[in-house]
This record gives sequence, structure tokens and C-alpha cells, in this order.
Amino acid sequence: MAENTSQQLLDMWKRQVEEGTQAWLKMMGQGGAGAPPMDPQAFWRPFMDQGMAAWSKLMTQGSAPSPDLMAQWKQFLDQWIAAWSRVLEQAMSTDAFARMMGKQVEGFLNAAGPVRKAAAQQVDASLAGLGIASRAQVVALAQHLAQVEEKIDGLEDKIDRLLGGANRTERA
Amino acid sequence: MKDELFTMMGEMPSMSPEFVARMQQEAERNLLRMKHWSEMVMNPREPEVGPTPRRLVYRTNKSRLWRYESPRTVRTPLLFVPNLGISRPYIFDLMPKGSFIEHMTRQGFDLFLVDWGVFGEEDNGLTVEDAVTRILPRLARKALEASGAPEMSVLGYCMGAPLSACFVTTHPEFPLKNYIDMAGPIDFAHVGLFGKWLAPEVFDVDKYVDTLGSIPAEMVKLGFKLLKPTMDLSTNLNLWWNLWNPDYVNGFNALNKWANEYLPFPGEFFRHWVKDFYQQNRLIKGELTMAGRRVDLRGIRCPVLAVGAREDNIAPPACVKPLIDVVSTRDKEYVELPGGHISLIAGRGASVHCWPKVASWLAARS
Repeated sequence: MAENTSQQLLDMWKRQVEEGTQAWLKMMGQGGAGAPPMDPQAFWRPFMDQGMAAWSKLMTQGSAPSPDLMAQWKQFLDQWIAAWSRVLEQAMSTDAFARMMGKQVEGFLNAAGPVRKAAAQQVDASLAGLGIASRAQVVALAQHLAQVEEKIDGLEDKIDRLLGGANRTERA
Repeated sequence: MKDELFTMMGEMPSMSPEFVARMQQEAERNLLRMKHWSEMVMNPREPEVGPTPRRLVYRTNKSRLWRYESPRTVRTPLLFVPNLGISRPYIFDLMPKGSFIEHMTRQGFDLFLVDWGVFGEEDNGLTVEDAVTRILPRLARKALEASGAPEMSVLGYCMGAPLSACFVTTHPEFPLKNYIDMAGPIDFAHVGLFGKWLAPEVFDVDKYVDTLGSIPAEMVKLGFKLLKPTMDLSTNLNLWWNLWNPDYVNGFNALNKWANEYLPFPGEFFRHWVKDFYQQNRLIKGELTMAGRRVDLRGIRCPVLAVGAREDNIAPPACVKPLIDVVSTRDKEYVELPGGHISLIAGRGASVHCWPKVASWLAARS
């Protein structure tokens, strides 16, 4: 009786996961033109069968729980994550996903651009009111310092080249 | 009460000594898991990273050139060029016995590391060309001077490979002894998901850079996390499973610190990187020009080793291998090793597969 119940529960869960995956993949849409059709069975079948067989055996044998149970559960989770990773990777490599991401980024930029600009203007106005250097002024100063450093490095390079040339002439 | 307990135990299925030992071991591990977990939560310690002693040779703006202590028994020094932005270079010297740099220095290599540094808003005008024709040549020359050697090998990792390839081909006067591309994309037509997401028809890089200025570290993080959405889940699952093991916990803490320290990109650098490399694939086509010199990979005439990682989803093997087809040398080799983009060079697998291969290939030619 108990054996049948646990088996039925496992079968039901297995069916639910498979149906859920099918539905999810349908929602995500298939790959672009020319892309091979997705086959969720290929992802799920190997680890589902192996994992379920092991669990059915453990659940129905009625033996005392063993530490191996944890190892098998970990293995099952690893395979489950790996399967999801493959599914997600396939979904994310579709043209539809790339287009969707592009639209999301564009939407973000359309919203972020004016907000950033307004915030910067507000901060600059507040700092100017307090007589403190604005962010743009600090950045400009840092740029100026970097340029000075670059010029010194450039001079150092030229001196090195001249010295190198002089040494070669001396040796010759 | 006591009698009842013994009666119950008598009814329980018999347990073999092996089974009891395993149960005991699992119980001990669970206690250790609890102990280490509470330490991580209640008293988190900053992991010590970068254990190999090193000396600053040169600095220019944000970039640094480091030289690592070594017996220096290998004649030709090695210049290690990693990626610019994205992440910090201490991953290559993460922890004792878990460090690529430590391994190479123990093998006697005189190793110089290019640390591009953390660029700020003031560096938004920095381009790929600046990195290749201004910063890198200067650091390479300083490394050569410090070593006193007549020639130098260059190892480019990840983005460091295309950058260093551009450098060595536009600076033929640089005495290049050997060149190694480790997980560095060369043919961007096969660069995987990033190539798809950054395609010109879906990603407007000009608008991105013009709006944000620089590319914030959080955006970089988002892009990399999206590349493998299940990564955090499997990382945490593995942590829980190995939480009893103090060595694993130490390694996790160090790696976790690195994995959560993303770096921003200078705006113009990102614009050029995406347009010229990802969108137009101009490197392999030989269409890039830097400082008036054409980037022609056929100009690499020294021995070349290209290393791809089988599970790499940032620089898949298909975009690394084409380097071998374009360079002008007979002494060239491509190897595909197990692991992903990071595990190729860091971690236990790397110490078994990658480090010995790179060290032996290089030592034989140095």
C-alpha cells in the first residue's frame, strides 16, 4: 500500500516537472529560423529516469535512511541544475531572447538617461550653492592629472629612446 | 523505560559496522557544516589572497606592472596580460597551492603581471588603441628592462589575448620569444552568447556608452551572471555539500570574494571593444589599425600555444582555435583542456591540466 502510494507520488511529480518544462519552453518560443527544434525530453530523460529509479528503490525498500541518500540527493540536484542550465542556455541563445534583451536595455537607457542627467544637474546645483567643487570639476581635474602624468611618461619614453640610441652609437 | 528502548532496538533492522561508520561520519560532517556556516555568517573573515611575494616595477595612471619573486632559472621572462576591466587579477594568485602565478614562479619563470587597474570616470576616454599602443608597450618595455633579458614571452588570458596580440603585431620591434593565448577570443564570429547579445541589430553600443559614460561594475556583473543563471545555485549547493571541509571553505571564501568584485569599463574602451571585435570581427579579418599600424596576426612568427577550455561560455574553443590557422609559424599548438573560463586557470583542475601544460611548453622554448 505504502509502496504504491510513494510510487504514485513520484510518478505524479515527474509528470508535473515534464509538463511544466514543456509549457515553459513553449512560452519562451522556439529558436530562430534554421535553429534545430528544442527537445526537452533530451534534457530531462536521462537524469529523470536515473534519479527516479534510485529514489523509488530507496522509498519503497523500507530500510533505514542511509547517508548515501544525501549523496544521491546531491547528485540528483546537480543533474537537475545542469539540465536547467542547458535548457536556459538554449533559450538564451535564441534570436528572440537577444531581441528581448536588446529591448530591455534600450528601455532602461531611455529611462535612465534623463534621470541621470536631472540628478547630476541637481547635485551640481546643490554643490555650487555650498561652494563645493562639482563632480564634473573633480573628474576634469583627475583627467588633467592623468594627462600630465601621460606627458611625463611620454618624456621618459623619449629620454629612454635617446639614451638607448646613444648607448648603441657608443658601442658601435 | 530502559527495557522498552532495548526492546525497540532489537526490532530495528540490523546495521552493519560499515553502515554505522558512515552514519557517524555523516553526523560529524553535519556538525562541522553547522560550525563553519555559523562562522561564515557570524564572524566572516576577509580571505587572504595574492600570497606570492611581488614587487611593483612600474605604474602609469591606474595600471601597474608587478614582478613576482622566483628563482628565475628559466632564461626568458614571461609577461602575463590579463583582461582589462571585468575582474581583478588576483584570481591568478588566489591562494597558496591554488595559484597559477605561484606554480609558474616555482618552475623558475621570471613572471611579470600587467594589472590594468580600476579605471574611473576620468578615464572614460581611454580606448582599446590607447591600451594597446600606449600602456602595454610601456609596461612591456619596463618588464624587459627589469629582467635584463634580450627576449620575452607573452601570455594573454581572456581579453588580454586579443589585446596582447594587437600589441605584438603592431610592435614588431618587441623581441617576442613565445606567444600564448589562454582562453582568449580571436575569431569573434564564434564567441557564443555574448556575440549574440552584443550583435549590432540588438545592441546599440553608442547609445549605451553615450547614456552611461562608463560601464558600471553592476552592469558587467549582470551580464556575466546572465551568461550562466544557474551558477549561483550550483555554487551554493556545492558549498553546503562541502561545508564540513575547512580547505574547501577557505577556497570558497577566496574565490567568492573575487567573483563578487566586478570592475567597470571605461566608456570609449567598451565602445571600441564591442564594435571592432564583437560586432565587426575585425581582428581575425586583419582590418584593425592601431597607431597607424595594421594589426595582422600573420605577423606573429614565434612559437604559439593556444589553450581553449571545453566548457568555456565566454571564449568558447571555437573562437580561440583560429589563432593557430593565421599565425606564421610552424611551431604552433592548440590544446583543449577540461574546465570553464575560470577553472581553466584557477582551481584544482587547472593545477592538474593547464598549469603543467603551459609551464612545460614554455620551458621547452625558453
